[in-house]
Amino acid sequence: MARPQRWSTPFGEEMTDGDVESLLKRPDIAAIEADNFPKHTPLSGVLRNDTRIVRYRSGDIVVREGDYGNSAFLVMNGSLRVVLAPELPQNLLGRQVAREKGFFEALAQLWTNSRVPEVRDISRYESQGLRGGVDSANARVFLQDVPAVLDEHRTAKLEDGALFGELAALGRVPRTATIFAEEDATLLEIRWQGLRELRKYDEGWRRMIDQRYRENALKAHLQESVMFSRLDEESLQAVADKVLFETYGSFDWNVAFQRQRQSGSGKEPIIARQGEYPDGVLMIRAGFARVSVKHGNGERTLTYLGAGNSFGLGELYSAWKNPDIQEMALHTSLSALGYVDILRVPAPVLEEHVFPFMEPPTSTTMDIAGTPVADDALMEWAVEERFVNATRAMVIDLERCVRCDDCVRACASTHGGNPRFRRHGRTFDNMMVANACMHCADPVCMIGCPTGAIHRSVEHGTVIINDITCIGCATCANSCPYSNIAMVAIRNQDGETITDPDSGKPIFKATKCDFCEGQPGGPACVRACPHDALKRVHFQELNPSETAQ
Amino acid sequence: MIRPMTLPFIVLGLATFALVAWYSRVVGMQLGNPAIVTGYTLFVLMILLGLFNMRKRLSMVPVGRSSLWLAFHVVAGVLAIAMFWLHTGALWPTGLYEQVLAALFYLVSITGIFGYLILRALPRRLTQTGIEVIYERIPAELGEIRDKVEALTLECTEKTGSDTVAQHYIGTLNWFFRRPRFGFSHIVGGDAAGHWLRGPGSAARRYLNDVEKGYFDQILELGTLKTQIDRHYACQDLMKKWLLLHVPLSISVILLSVWHLLLVNVYAL
Repeated sequence: MARPQRWSTPFGEEMTDGDVESLLKRPDIAAIEADNFPKHTPLSGVLRNDTRIVRYRSGDIVVREGDYGNSAFLVMNGSLRVVLAPELPQNLLGRQVAREKGFFEALAQLWTNSRVPEVRDISRYESQGLRGGVDSANARVFLQDVPAVLDEHRTAKLEDGALFGELAALGRVPRTATIFAEEDATLLEIRWQGLRELRKYDEGWRRMIDQRYRENALKAHLQESVMFSRLDEESLQAVADKVLFETYGSFDWNVAFQRQRQSGSGKEPIIARQGEYPDGVLMIRAGFARVSVKHGNGERTLTYLGAGNSFGLGELYSAWKNPDIQEMALHTSLSALGYVDILRVPAPVLEEHVFPFMEPPTSTTMDIAGTPVADDALMEWAVEERFVNATRAMVIDLERCVRCDDCVRACASTHGGNPRFRRHGRTFDNMMVANACMHCADPVCMIGCPTGAIHRSVEHGTVIINDITCIGCATCANSCPYSNIAMVAIRNQDGETITDPDSGKPIFKATKCDFCEGQPGGPACVRACPHDALKRVHFQELNPSETAQ
Repeated sequence: MIRPMTLPFIVLGLATFALVAWYSRVVGMQLGNPAIVTGYTLFVLMILLGLFNMRKRLSMVPVGRSSLWLAFHVVAGVLAIAMFWLHTGALWPTGLYEQVLAALFYLVSITGIFGYLILRALPRRLTQTGIEVIYERIPAELGEIRDKVEALTLECTEKTGSDTVAQHYIGTLNWFFRRPRFGFSHIVGGDAAGHWLRGPGSAARRYLNDVEKGYFDQILELGTLKTQIDRHYACQDLMKKWLLLHVPLSISVILLSVWHLLLVNVYAL
C-alpha cells in the first residue's frame, strides 16, 4: 500500500478541475500570488483538495455561535446574514433547550422508563427544522421564517467575496456569531489545512487574517493575562501590534492520538527547547502544551499549560533583572499536546511595557523538578492520556469502589433505561478514568457536526447532544479521542428498531454522558455511589503542580 | 478509620440511645412498660434501615447522597443491635416466636457487619491485582484465556511433535483453566493459586525442551492472568452475593416484627 499523502483525502469529493479553473478566475482568488506557493503545495492543489463548494438554501444556518469548526467560508454568490443581537433562541439553532425536571417528573421515570432501551417518541422528530437527510455534508438546520428573524434581530449582510469563520478555524475557538443564508447562496468552504497554507504562502491573506484577529480578539486575550491586565490602552495597543501568531500540531490531533495509543509511539511538535535562547513569552491561546525537562535519558513532564497560561516569563524576567548574566537559556522545553495556538510576545516589548511594572514571578516550573519523580507520576500519566482536557472526568477510586454498579443503574434510570457510560477505563494506581464524556475543554467531538446537535449547554457549559437534530452520522463518535460517545439504534414505543424507509437500515443516534442535564440534583452517578468512590473532576484538581508558572 | 460524614450520625445514634434508655427507665419507674418505648424505637429504626434499599431505586430524584444514607444505615444498624438488647433485656429471648425473630435479627446483623467489613477490605485487594474486570465479563475473559491456552498447546504439539505439554494440559492444567479456582484463598488474601501454578501447574516443565518451554511459559503467564481474574471473580462475587442473604433476611425481620407488634397490641396492652 502506498503511503497516504497530504491530499489523499480531499475535502470535497466533487471538486473538479473546472471548479478550480473558475475559482482561479475570481478576483479574490486571482489576487493570491500563486508563485509563492511551493511546488509540493501549489495553489491549485490547495483549492482542489482543501476546499469545497457548498450550496445553501434560503434559511439554512451556515455556522452557529458557540460551535467549534475547522473551516472558513468565502461567499461566492448569494447573500448571508450575521445575527448581531439579540442572539437566536437555542431551539432555532437546533440545540437542546435545557429545562430542569421537577421532583415528581423526575420520579415518574421510575415507571415511565421503557423495558427496552433507547425508545424514542418519533413524533418529536417531525418538527425538527432539518433538511438534507443523514449525509453529514448536506444536512442542515434551517430557519423556517427568515423574514421574522430579520424583523426581530439586528443583522449584518455578507455578500460576494466576504470571508468568515477563519478565526475559529485557525484558533480552535468557538464561533462568535450565527450566520444564515438570507437567499440561496454558494460558498467556498476552506478547511483549516488549506487556510493555513493560504496564510503561510500569501502575504495578502496573512495580513488580512492577522489584522482581523488583532482587531477583533487579540486585545481581549491579552487583557485576560495578569501580565498585561494593568497596561493602559496605548501600551496594550503597542503590545498587540508586535504579537506574533503561531500554531503547532495538527488540528485533528485526535486521529493521531488514537493511532499513537494503539502503536504506543508518537512525537510531539517542539515549541521551545530547553537550553535555547528565549526570544519572547509564549502565551497559550488554545489547546494544551507540555512543559518538560531532561531527566536521565528521557523527558520528565513538570506540568502542562492550557489556554491563558504562559511560558518563558521567568527566564526573560530574570535576564532583564540581571543583565550581567551572560548565559540566558530556557530551563524547560515546551511541546504541543495535539493542536496549540500560541501568541509570541517578543522580549523587547515586555522589557518596555511589562517588566518595569511587574512583580517578580514567585515560582517557576523548575521548583517542581526538585520533587521526587514519583510525586508527579499521576500528572505525567494524565498528560500522556490527554486527560488534562477533562473538565468533568469520571474518576473512580478503586480502593473504595465495591463494583456494585449502582452508578451504572442510576445513569440508566435517568436516561431511559440505558446507561450513558461504561464503568471501565484507563487506570493509574487506585484511580480509574471511566469511559464517560469528560466535557472537554477542547471538545474535538464538536468539530464537524453538520447540524450542531452536539453543543455546549449555555447554562452549564457541559457538552450535550440534541437528540432531535442528531442525524446519526457518527462524526462526533469517530472524533472523540477517548471513545466516550456511543451510537445506538433507536426504537419505537413498541420496542421495535426504527428503520429508514428508503434503505431499511436502523436509525442511529449519538449518545453520551450529558452530566444529567435537566435532571434535578446533579449527576445521578455521583449521588448514587454509597462509598463516595465516584467523583466528577476537573483534572487540574488532581494536579497540585498546576499553579506553577 | 471512621469517615468524617459518619461522625454526626454516631453522635446522633449515641444521643438517641441515651435518650431512649433514660426514657424507658422513667416509664418503668412510673409502672409503665419500658419495652413499648424500646420496641417502637427499634421498629422505627428497622423501617429506616430498610429505606436504604428503597433509596437505591430512587436515583433519579434528589433524596440525598447514597453515601450519607450508607453512613446512616451503618450507625442505625449498630444502634438497632443495642436497642434490641435494651428491648429484650437479654441476649436470647424465651418465647419460640421471639426466638425465631431474634435468630433472624442476629443473622441480619451478622450479615450486615460481614458485608460492611468485606466492602472495606476487598476493593483494595482487587486494586492490587493491577487489572480491572467487569463482573459480567469474567466468564468471557476466562473463556478467551482458555482458548488461547488450548491454541498454544496445539501449536506446541504441531511445532515440536511432542505431546508432553498437551498431556500436562489434559491431566492437570485443564482443571485450573476450566473455571474460577481457589475462591476462598483469593477472598482471604492467600496465594493458593500462585502456589498451585508454581507446583503442580509447572510440574511438566523439567521434561520440556527449549521450544516447548517457550510455549509453556506463555501458558503459565496466562495462568497468572487468570489468577488475577479469579481473584476479581471471587471478591466481586462475594461483594454482590452477601446482599442475597442480608436483604431477604431484613425483609423477614420487618414482616415478623409487624406481626409481633400486632400481637403485642392486641394481647399484651
